[in-house]
Amino acid sequence: MRVTLFDYGAGNLHSLAKALATAEGAEVRVEEDPLRAVDTDVLVLPGVGAFGAAATRLAPGREAMRAALARGLPCLGICLGMQLLFESSEEGPGDGLGYFSGRVTRLRARRVPQMGWNRVEADTTLTSARLETVYYANSFVCRVEDASVVTGWSTHEDDRFAAVVRRGRVVGVQFHPEKSSAPGVAFVRGFLREVTS
Amino acid sequence: MLTRRLIVCLDVKGGRVVKGVRFEGLRDVGDPVELALRYEREGADEVTFLDISASNEERQTLWDLVQRTAERLFIPLTVGGGVRTVADVGRALRSGADKVSINSAAVARPELLTECAERFGAQCVVASIDARRDGERWRVHTHGGRKATDLDAVAWARECVTRGAGEVLLTSIDQDGARTGYDLALTRAVVDAVDVPVIASGGAGSAEHVRDGLTRGGADAALVAGILHDGLTTVGSIKSLLLASGLPIRSTT
Repeated sequence: MRVTLFDYGAGNLHSLAKALATAEGAEVRVEEDPLRAVDTDVLVLPGVGAFGAAATRLAPGREAMRAALARGLPCLGICLGMQLLFESSEEGPGDGLGYFSGRVTRLRARRVPQMGWNRVEADTTLTSARLETVYYANSFVCRVEDASVVTGWSTHEDDRFAAVVRRGRVVGVQFHPEKSSAPGVAFVRGFLREVTS
Repeated sequence: MLTRRLIVCLDVKGGRVVKGVRFEGLRDVGDPVELALRYEREGADEVTFLDISASNEERQTLWDLVQRTAERLFIPLTVGGGVRTVADVGRALRSGADKVSINSAAVARPELLTECAERFGAQCVVASIDARRDGERWRVHTHGGRKATDLDAVAWARECVTRGAGEVLLTSIDQDGARTGYDLALTRAVVDAVDVPVIASGGAGSAEHVRDGLTRGGADAALVAGILHDGLTTVGSIKSLLLASGLPIRSTT
């Protein structure tokens, strides 16, 4: 199973690459070219950087990536990577992939960025791994148009937001599973197993 | 609701973990990677490496150490000590750190905080402040506590946040290594002054001290080192007491 991390700059991908590599049969590679990144069995959009800069890096391969996701390419978007699965962001200009309908906006809270461990309520994303307390480091969140894609919620101060979205084989998580200790790594492994079986 | 965090600090020098008392008198306490992994298994919420190397030769080992740790540690890793430039911060992040703490260099040139926040995001910029009581206030010190500045710790914390820091690591030099508890008045004063998480540091001698730092001090996180390395208490015992005190804590049992 080829697992490709799309590297759109700035990134610390060490922990994420190692978390993915704990899955049986996973061959993890890092790819900076968005067109070549879709030539894979599983695409991973990591979570480092700002929306505008990432959208710029994504632009040359945006249509190819959209088409690949529409054809059923399994994809995991993490933090900013989840936000790139939506249409646009108030953080910066540029288009996301639009796989999920909705826009990314700033957390409505006094303490932004949200830094630390928070609970995921009613997680139904995977059958083989259940999320409880996960690590966040984010200022922006995805506002879904269709709440049925949300498979887990979190609340920061008074702002309830989508912790996880899933449609078909595409999953977006606002938190960092690769920083959420053993349960986070189990979630990554469970994702790879369930979307490729 | 965010949980309160227990952060384990490892002072590293030349690739080993050491521990000092009142910033002096160093002893070797173990291998950084193995200790970091052990504390993750025991339930620590984050690990911080504070590099106290005196020479460039010793410091070169830090980036390699950070990378070896990041490849095996699945909780956030902060690196601090001797970070002077935007390039240093970039190097730490590329090596695998999630956050970088900046101390003396921010006092020397506060714009550094802004430059790092704009380049890498406020979530990875930690303002590290060493403060010593001076009458009714606290004075900021730099260079591992050796140099006094004219800065008031509370005002400086506020300025660091205005300039882009996403978190404040607040160390009481008076209490560091003394094991008589955090400086609760200092912690409370800074917590009340800023809108970002404050990490209480310096002085924890027991699980009760950690609890007090989070309740009476109001800190979002507590940093501990020596009491764990010396086996006086464990991450599990501290977290059990915090849970029993009604604090929101990530339970790993």
